[in-house]
Amino acid sequence: MLLKLAYFNLWRNPRRTLLTLSALVVSAALLILALGIFSGMMADILSSATEQYRGHIVVSRPGYQSSRDLFLTFDQHSADWTLWQQPGISALAPRLRAFALLSGVEDSQPAELLGVDVDREPLVTRLLPAVQPVGGVAVSGRAWVGEQLARRLKVGVGDELVVMTQAADGSLANDLLTVAGLFNSGDTGRDRRLLLVELTWLQGLMVLPGRIHELAMRVERPLYAAQLARQLQEQLPTHAPAKGVALEVDDWGRLLPQMQEAIASYDVSRAILVLILYSAAALGVLNTFYMSVLERSYEFGMLLATGMRPRRLKNLILLESLLLGSLASLLALLFGGALTHYMAESGIDLSDSIGPITYAGGSLPPRLHAVHEVGNYLIPLAGLLLVSLVASYLPARRAARLQPADVLRGN
Amino acid sequence: MSRLLILPVFLLVSLLMPTGLKAEESLPDLEALIRQVETQYNGLSSHAVARMDIQTRNWQRSLVMEFWSWRRDRFLTRILEPAREKGVSTLKLDNEVWNYLPKVDRVIKVPSSMMGGSWMGSHITNDDLVKSDRIDQLFDFTLAQENAEIYQIVCQPKPQTVTVWGQLVYTIDKQHLTPQQVDYFDEEGLLVRQIFFDQIRQIEGRSLPLRMTVVPHDKPEEQTVLTYEQLTFETELTESFFSLRQLKQR
Repeated sequence: MLLKLAYFNLWRNPRRTLLTLSALVVSAALLILALGIFSGMMADILSSATEQYRGHIVVSRPGYQSSRDLFLTFDQHSADWTLWQQPGISALAPRLRAFALLSGVEDSQPAELLGVDVDREPLVTRLLPAVQPVGGVAVSGRAWVGEQLARRLKVGVGDELVVMTQAADGSLANDLLTVAGLFNSGDTGRDRRLLLVELTWLQGLMVLPGRIHELAMRVERPLYAAQLARQLQEQLPTHAPAKGVALEVDDWGRLLPQMQEAIASYDVSRAILVLILYSAAALGVLNTFYMSVLERSYEFGMLLATGMRPRRLKNLILLESLLLGSLASLLALLFGGALTHYMAESGIDLSDSIGPITYAGGSLPPRLHAVHEVGNYLIPLAGLLLVSLVASYLPARRAARLQPADVLRGN
Repeated sequence: MSRLLILPVFLLVSLLMPTGLKAEESLPDLEALIRQVETQYNGLSSHAVARMDIQTRNWQRSLVMEFWSWRRDRFLTRILEPAREKGVSTLKLDNEVWNYLPKVDRVIKVPSSMMGGSWMGSHITNDDLVKSDRIDQLFDFTLAQENAEIYQIVCQPKPQTVTVWGQLVYTIDKQHLTPQQVDYFDEEGLLVRQIFFDQIRQIEGRSLPLRMTVVPHDKPEEQTVLTYEQLTFETELTESFFSLRQLKQR
């Protein structure tokens, strides 16, 4: 009964209701869009840091990630454990890493060699261009070189590189590589020192046959990688062969603490943004409801005079407001969702005016692009309902305290 | 007229001053001592065969190498054993270091950023090998201790010197004027490594320690021992022997 009354009351002054409604809808929809773009930027940074080079989850010997000690290796067959075949993990790739002196046409440079499985690596990270047909490339290994490193070494695709380093048995390792491709990750530090080579070639060079340093994984939900990593770490002892060495499962949050901080600070800035925008919206709603209560004093007086309890009257007004809020939420969801969807599909390309920005261990591509994330809808909509309730509470209380005799006499 | 006189007088005074001081204090010429120690294996030219035993936490191995040197400026070494690395050569041309890799038949230049790095996996750095740190020219010396057997000399880099070392301490055998020990400290004054010299022999009228042991201080279980098996001085070598062309040809 009360609900019906509240609904009819809303439409007794459609202009007022529609004005309030549009203010709520526009603010919530824009907020949804802004949060979507914000999340898009975070996703871009995170993916540049994890999907270009590291992977979302990395398995290695304890201490390897900080020391990069050549001797902290494990058996590459551990890539085939059933442990990794569980939901949430979409791909994994074995890797071996070495540091070497590289020489191109005349200059030489120290560089990081990442030995990867050319079939599996592209499923985890994006640095390696999609697998290329082997044809043409002859005896020596193939290398994919960071653009800036290639420039320093003065080499291009098809050129030869000399590699010299110390193998795991102490001997002097040296060999030739052929540049099969260049990459530009947008991270200058990486492009200046990294090259990808074939895993088996690097194992041969370093005299580490069948050994790897890392298993890098891609997961379906990167933001929940920490949970998955913990689970894997717990299950590891039961899956690893008895004589196996201790392994450590790290998620990107542990490998890139500054990235994790950036994302945590995003949650805080999201809260602040919501607060600021809704403070303004709340004042608007408060104003509208106050005006409407004042205008409707006579009507409320009548209701009270005919025996309606003040509490019920208060509830009626709150209910009106809640209805308005729900309606606004629904419209904001549709409207904001549509805007976000447009930005997710098309986005805005800014590459004409700015270049990629390196930030918190990742790099931000020059584009505005949104992603859908449940929180980005829930928070604005819940905020909207809360605001409409809070803003109507004072007017409702005022209405409930009206003295029917005074009001009716006053008119 | 007076201007013309100032220069010669100034030169004369500046030449006389330091020598005069030294004579008065009857100190050994520390710079000359250090120079002698630093160049003990060089001479005008030299030829040597040495064995290098390297012991690390993860592996151990032995190399036999042939060395040639010409003054302090040119230096060539070639691996004789093991067979897998036979022919790998290192050439020092003034301040540049080149490696020749016979397996791929290429010459590769060691960038200056890697001169402090390990040479052939040993605890000897590229810098040590070529003596690119000219200690006697780039450091200041003080005599820290002297007794019947030894001089102990503390070397500190001159203000304008660029070096990784904060301080070096040489312990020099008074009788043979050969080094016994050199301690290397980093810029924070922490001991980084020590080199010990022993097996002193007379070679062509010079006293020389034939064995050199390098011990990194943070990994005391590791070491590199370089032992000279043959050593001759004043060979027929000329400067032109030490060239990139030679490096490739041999």
